[in-house]
Amino acid sequence: MKELKSETILEVKNLKKVYIKKNGDPHIAVNEISFELMKGEIFSFLGPNGAGKSTTINMLTAQLTPTSGEILFQGQSLKDNPIFAKSKVGVVAQHNNLDRGLTARENLIYHGQYFGMSQAEAANRADELLESFGLTDWKNDYVKSFSGGMAQRLKIARAIMHQPEILFLDEPTTGLDPAYREVLWQQVLRLNKEFNTTVFLTTHYMEEPERFSDKVAIYNKGVIKAIGTVQELRELVPSQTIISITLDYVTEEIVDEVKKLPNVISLSVKDEKNCIIYAENSKTVLNELLIWIENKHLSLESINLSATTLDDIFIYLTTNDKKNN
Amino acid sequence: MIKKITKEVMEKKLNQLNVFKIMVRRDLLIQSRDWKEFVFRVGMLPFILILTYGFILPQIGILDIDFPNQMFPGVLGMSLLVTGIHGTAVPLAMDFNNTREIEDRLQAPVNVKIVAWAKMFVGIIESWIGALIVLPISLIFMGSHLNISLDVASGLFLFVVLLLSSITSATLGLLVGTIVKPTQIAAMFPGFLMPLIFTGAIFFNWSALQTIPVIKYLTLINPLVYINEALRFILNSSGETMPLIFSLSGIVIFTLIMGYYGMKRFIKMANR
Repeated sequence: MKELKSETILEVKNLKKVYIKKNGDPHIAVNEISFELMKGEIFSFLGPNGAGKSTTINMLTAQLTPTSGEILFQGQSLKDNPIFAKSKVGVVAQHNNLDRGLTARENLIYHGQYFGMSQAEAANRADELLESFGLTDWKNDYVKSFSGGMAQRLKIARAIMHQPEILFLDEPTTGLDPAYREVLWQQVLRLNKEFNTTVFLTTHYMEEPERFSDKVAIYNKGVIKAIGTVQELRELVPSQTIISITLDYVTEEIVDEVKKLPNVISLSVKDEKNCIIYAENSKTVLNELLIWIENKHLSLESINLSATTLDDIFIYLTTNDKKNN
Repeated sequence: MIKKITKEVMEKKLNQLNVFKIMVRRDLLIQSRDWKEFVFRVGMLPFILILTYGFILPQIGILDIDFPNQMFPGVLGMSLLVTGIHGTAVPLAMDFNNTREIEDRLQAPVNVKIVAWAKMFVGIIESWIGALIVLPISLIFMGSHLNISLDVASGLFLFVVLLLSSITSATLGLLVGTIVKPTQIAAMFPGFLMPLIFTGAIFFNWSALQTIPVIKYLTLINPLVYINEALRFILNSSGETMPLIFSLSGIVIFTLIMGYYGMKRFIKMANR
């Protein structure tokens, strides 16, 4: 049984990071965001590329100094006590930062020892983790010979070697095939369930947070647009069903005209060919839309009526200018 | 099945010195796996210099037969300094900018300075190996012409100078390693190490530059000058040397300056 999530493990208050560009102009990567994580929670931090997700993770894991704001681990300031904070976290970075000159087993043993484990304790735990992640057969191989999937599994094993209280996963399944993604998720969920490990996740695969997250934040341009459970976020979207259309091109004129159709509440342009329509009565709008497309002699590649997914919520919140929180 | 780590293991007080030792052991393990490359890298420069200037040129009469006495302390100091700089700077530059392997150590719940100290310590060990490598090469090619005297007191002084110099090399390596990018490492040899070597009084005493005062005083910004002058003084090899108090002060001042700025740069890189 998962423990009751009552204890706040991480508090982020008005966190801000400003970079100075080469021309001297400031670039606000993270703009005064605030949120908190409860112990044992799986929290997904979703945003488009370049939104500032990794910058946020780097600040939360003491790898980057914030411009302003406060980060508290179990009430203790990261700025005042970075060593305490670092003892609480495990980090799986986007890139491969494993020790290529060491074997898989040595990578884990050294990591454990950096966190105060004895060689024997670290070796025992390393063997358990290698077995658990299906890497026992390669335990004495140098990491430089590992495939992307093997390296990713080892990175996760290393991050949990010292049994962190918060596990930061920065796009952990990017580049992995679906089978490995499933294996990794089973491991993460087991940690969460058995050890009450809090998980902070960024990912581009929307089905992952939809399946596993207790709480999701939609983040764009340095600002949290919305935060809550998937169901709470779903309520921010104007309708529970959506119409996705693919035309050979989407122009501003088309967007304006579709928005004027009866029962259409809102429209998000996904890219130059795709847009998503939120409507009060989707089935009626679907019929009207088909007639309108035919009258306009537009080339319709596909049209689809579906229930709102996290992907749709994400697109709605990150493509609309207005703040939705 | 992953077992829960016991309370005793989790609550054990982390010993910063232990973590330092583990980080040093990690670096030495990786270095030892490439020991052939290490010996080649460290030995080639002193080997070529000794072969050419300490053996061939004196043998064919272009240089004085006593020249190896002038040169030996210089090559010793040069090998120590260059090996220490290389041993600290290159892995740091690669770690921070390319492989990013250092991130795991920076995540350890210890002061980030421990990571820098460990890197420097490995640089110090390498610099000693660099100095030791000079001895057999010198004995083989210049042994018959070397006239070095060393008593117990001088031996003790030699140890102190080598120790201080190896620390200088590691601090300089720390600074360089946090400034250069991996793409600039190739340029480090002609752009930094060559000027450092050839203005570092390895072939002659610093006082011999009195006929060109501009060069004489310009070379004082090179820490190798102080190291070589101190080594010449102790080994009593030949000619007039800088007073030991000056050369030692130079080594200490350089170490403090490089160490201060090197550590500052390291902390900045660790929290970038």
